[in-house]
Amino acid sequence: MSAYTISIVSIIGINVILAVSLNMISGFCGQISLGHGAFFGAGAYAAALAMFATANVPLAVVAGVIAGSLLGIIVGFASLRVRSDFLAVTTIGINFLFVGFVRKQSWLGGEMGISGIPPTGLGAAGNMVMILLMACATVALSLYVSRSWMGFAFRAVGEDEQAATTLGIGAGAYKLAAFGIGTALAGLAGALYTFFTQFITVDAFDFIFSVMLMAMVVIGGIGSTWGVVTAAVGLTLLPEAIRFVNDYRLLVFGGMLVLVIRLAPGGLAGLTRNLFDRVRQA
Amino acid sequence: MYYIDLAVTGISFGCMYAMMSVGLTLVYGLLRILHVAHAAVFALGAYATVLAANATGSLALGFLAAIIVTPLFGMAIYRLLYEPLLGYRPDVPMIASVGLLVLMQDAFRVVFGEQGVTFRRNAFSFTTFDFYGVTVSAVQIALVVTAAIVFLGLHLFTTRTRIGVGWRATVSKPRIAASFGVDPIKVRYLNFAIGSALAAIAGGLVALLNNLVDPAIGFVVSYKALAIIVLGGLGSVRGTLIASLVLGLVEAYGTIFIGAWLDRDAIAFLALIILLMIRPQGFAGARAA
Amino acid sequence: MSAVLQLDDVAIRFGGVQAVGGVSCAVEAGDFVGLIGPNGAGKTTLIRIIAGLLRPDRGKVILGGIDVTGDPTSARVRCGLALTHQIVRPFREMTVLDNVVLAAGIGYTSEPLRALLHVSRRRESERAAAILASVGLAGTERKLAGALPLGQLKRLELARALAVSPKVVLLDEPLAGLNHTEASKQVETISEVHQRGITVVLVEHNLEEVMRICRRLIVLNNGIVIGDGEPREVMADPVVHDAYVGGGMVTHAEA
Repeated sequence: MSAYTISIVSIIGINVILAVSLNMISGFCGQISLGHGAFFGAGAYAAALAMFATANVPLAVVAGVIAGSLLGIIVGFASLRVRSDFLAVTTIGINFLFVGFVRKQSWLGGEMGISGIPPTGLGAAGNMVMILLMACATVALSLYVSRSWMGFAFRAVGEDEQAATTLGIGAGAYKLAAFGIGTALAGLAGALYTFFTQFITVDAFDFIFSVMLMAMVVIGGIGSTWGVVTAAVGLTLLPEAIRFVNDYRLLVFGGMLVLVIRLAPGGLAGLTRNLFDRVRQA
Repeated sequence: MYYIDLAVTGISFGCMYAMMSVGLTLVYGLLRILHVAHAAVFALGAYATVLAANATGSLALGFLAAIIVTPLFGMAIYRLLYEPLLGYRPDVPMIASVGLLVLMQDAFRVVFGEQGVTFRRNAFSFTTFDFYGVTVSAVQIALVVTAAIVFLGLHLFTTRTRIGVGWRATVSKPRIAASFGVDPIKVRYLNFAIGSALAAIAGGLVALLNNLVDPAIGFVVSYKALAIIVLGGLGSVRGTLIASLVLGLVEAYGTIFIGAWLDRDAIAFLALIILLMIRPQGFAGARAA
Repeated sequence: MSAVLQLDDVAIRFGGVQAVGGVSCAVEAGDFVGLIGPNGAGKTTLIRIIAGLLRPDRGKVILGGIDVTGDPTSARVRCGLALTHQIVRPFREMTVLDNVVLAAGIGYTSEPLRALLHVSRRRESERAAAILASVGLAGTERKLAGALPLGQLKRLELARALAVSPKVVLLDEPLAGLNHTEASKQVETISEVHQRGITVVLVEHNLEEVMRICRRLIVLNNGIVIGDGEPREVMADPVVHDAYVGGGMVTHAEA
């Protein structure tokens, strides 16, 4: 495998973890979060610091997961307080605050970021395998949660919080659980990203990246794990596939985003469901 | 004197934020969509002003071109992008809106270049006045005066004219307005037209302020505008105006006090999050328009 | 103590208006209580306090001997209270069966961790299907709840309330919006619920039906209890009569 392939596959794995974890928050539980990049970043920075301090990979992973979920649970508490339409803007705010804060912290490398992070010792291919294993585990977890009573309750909370409450479902506890699980996984992705690049700058975790993740969820079909995985792979490969229009990548990306949503607002999952229905009727 | 200079900067920026945000808050009030692509409208207004001014040699014609082009663009966004997506979850049109913003931003870069465009002849950008030691630029005065005229005009329009009253009523009480014979579709187009024109004026003035329009012009402003409209209590024009001015001032002074550990552009969101923790329903509460 | 639901001097004030001014009452296990009162009497406010949507200024709400005054709705449901909404709120994008299965799974869903660790829904599905049949919704299981007409949605609401295995159900205008046939069918179902040993508190405008099926009547006016007892005796009381026929109209106009 070429170094190029290894890096592409690694990035796909990381993006799958991020998109699937965001889907648990926004798809399963209906809590719109546009700041997933912040939790990803918190995990990456925590893992980087842990690597410098201990050079211990499992410890760095744990640090990333804790940092991501800690920030996530704080935002989860915010989601209990604010109206649902304020939550989207609040999470955008968290993302800008994270970036604006890190940029000014010399102990986090400021604008220049952190470079020379100690390697994991697994090599690029070993890192890739680790990332893929984690991505598979994340997908499996997502599929499991969706089938469990928790996924059932998430769907109820996402659809109508008050009605869920009258069935004995504590909406607040479930929202916190969704944020906790989703952002812990984002923190995990952050740690893996740190192992992969050994060099992080805050720009990798900005709002535009969060939007890209939300685009994966929407294009994949909100709430559908497989749809989201497909979209995450597709949207990660797309810029590579359209390298020949290198200079116009964002133009094409923006245009495709608009077109896909305009033509298939239910995402890939909605599209296949429609096809299935049509075949069944015919 | 330094503190007064900061106040001047703060107020003029606040006026710019207000003109930028009004369209956004009205779209939200009407359709519950976070119209992120409003930033593209703002940028289009800035480009149109510069290009038309350079072509005709008249700044006035530049602004005129901007407030003709952008309403058409804004209404087209509604017709082609939002209207077909109204039945879906609100994040669906929002993502489409973000896609459009990315597309437009890159289109500006491709067509007009990475470096952006500047006014060819423009003494206005560099004119300053001195009031007892306080330096005020002509563009800052223009920002404040324009905003004052715009908001006074908007107030008169929504209280004195039939269509304006219908518009305001539709934003706050859509069902009641419809039962009084206000055409909600017409109101939506009007809403996009006026909101876009105001953003274009703000864009043109920012172009004057920097004497430059580059593809990233709308970027940060647009997200700040999202914070502003929430601070102002989504859908409320008065709340948006107050929140804009407060933010302009907080940013101006905040840079001295917290600039060492927080980016200037993040201040708006810090204020937003603090406010939401204290008052989860926003500044203006549930009241709209 | 055999009271399943007890209110102890509950009061709340909105601005200058004393919406509920010190209501005390106890509902015994197995009772069938009608809560009535003219518009603006404070019924809706009292229901919201019992349901946990409003916190009273003073007084206590006690469910099965446990003080739940500070607890959220979901905790009260776990203590044995079931609610139906005046305006139906099904999960429209779920099937009719899933709506009830979700309610039947309260043993799992009351605790996120337990919910995460359990997957099988077989037992709950069977129970849900039985409950749907008992309220006359057999055959609709696979339909999306959003596709049901109002009459059936009102019954779905009742089915969900039964599925949480309540000790007491609080029914908020379960007959509103139903035509005559639908209403009498619904009343029949509610009577069956009561016969199964579930305590019923019925809030209803339809006085005729309330008089017919309730064993006890509590009448509210201007935020206080003005009558409590056997339905016929209560309605014969001149104070109650005035509130309904004479003063009731005035109250209505003021509200």
